[in-house]
Amino acid sequence: MGDWITQSSQLIASVEEPHGAESHGGEHGDGHAWVSWEGLLVYVGIVVGTLFVLMAQAKKGLNNRFFTNKITQLFEQVYLFIENMCVGTIGAHGRRYVPMIMTMWMLVFSGNLLALFFPTSPTADLSFNLGLALVSIAYVQYEGIRANGLFGHLGHFAGPKLGGFLALLISPIIFVIEIISELMKNVSLSLRLYGNIDGGHRAAEAMNSLGAGIYVPFGAFLLPIKLLTVVVQAMIFCLLTAVYLSLVTHHDEDHGHGAETGHAEVAPAH
Amino acid sequence: MTGHIFGLGIGLAALGVGIGLGMIGYAAMQGMSRQPEAIGKIQVAMLIALAFVELVFLLTVFIVPGSLKI
Repeated sequence: MGDWITQSSQLIASVEEPHGAESHGGEHGDGHAWVSWEGLLVYVGIVVGTLFVLMAQAKKGLNNRFFTNKITQLFEQVYLFIENMCVGTIGAHGRRYVPMIMTMWMLVFSGNLLALFFPTSPTADLSFNLGLALVSIAYVQYEGIRANGLFGHLGHFAGPKLGGFLALLISPIIFVIEIISELMKNVSLSLRLYGNIDGGHRAAEAMNSLGAGIYVPFGAFLLPIKLLTVVVQAMIFCLLTAVYLSLVTHHDEDHGHGAETGHAEVAPAH
Repeated sequence: MTGHIFGLGIGLAALGVGIGLGMIGYAAMQGMSRQPEAIGKIQVAMLIALAFVELVFLLTVFIVPGSLKI
């Protein structure tokens, strides 16, 4: 386990190295050493600033009886899309988690969209993705604890309720495995996003070098499939967060009130 | 020498992931054509399965070079 952590930190360090080198090399004489137009934070700033301005514009059109502001209408559609996804995946109580998941969707989507046009972008960077995944999984734990209580949430890791001797034997093993898989969720979420977006960059570079002899940027022809990746990866990130949320919060209804209400509560979920 | 083995490993991973993605697409398309009203649910499940299969290849590409110490 410790070995694995050092390996992953080396991986992050090796990914981060070009950024560090650029930020030291890109310093223009009198400029500050920590300001660089090639750094990650500039692109994070672009994404967050754009979203902030757009949402501020969208908020202005909120008071009418129906939305006449174009930006408000746009974000209404985004909201409906995310709400559909949440309710479809988590169930009726999924509407509670829409704000967080929509925030993540917009952040990932605009980061991915930025990656189409710029050499680096927030989501083409493992450290940003790892931070996003850590936030996502921490939110899942928080909601699990809020739904089931601390011990209910921890007991959820121990798998099905077994009786007698079997519980002592198997439940600790399941508990350890579940904790490891919970930690691996961070890695899987971040690595998937990073691999897809940065892999798109590398594929475009490789195809550009293929056509460099005849001055044809073949990489540009990858743009349609990269556009598909942008939408699908943003959706998958949020869908998986919703699935993790549903796994953590669903058992509350099944085990907690299942004995009293029988199957009456299970039926509407389908 | 290790570079050759690494390339072969990536090729094998791509082969396996290609077969896996193809099977997911095959099964999902068959299911959708048999039951067009369930397209939404099938698509969601398909995307989740696609993401998990894709992750295997990404793990191969990003984790294996670190653990092989080339």
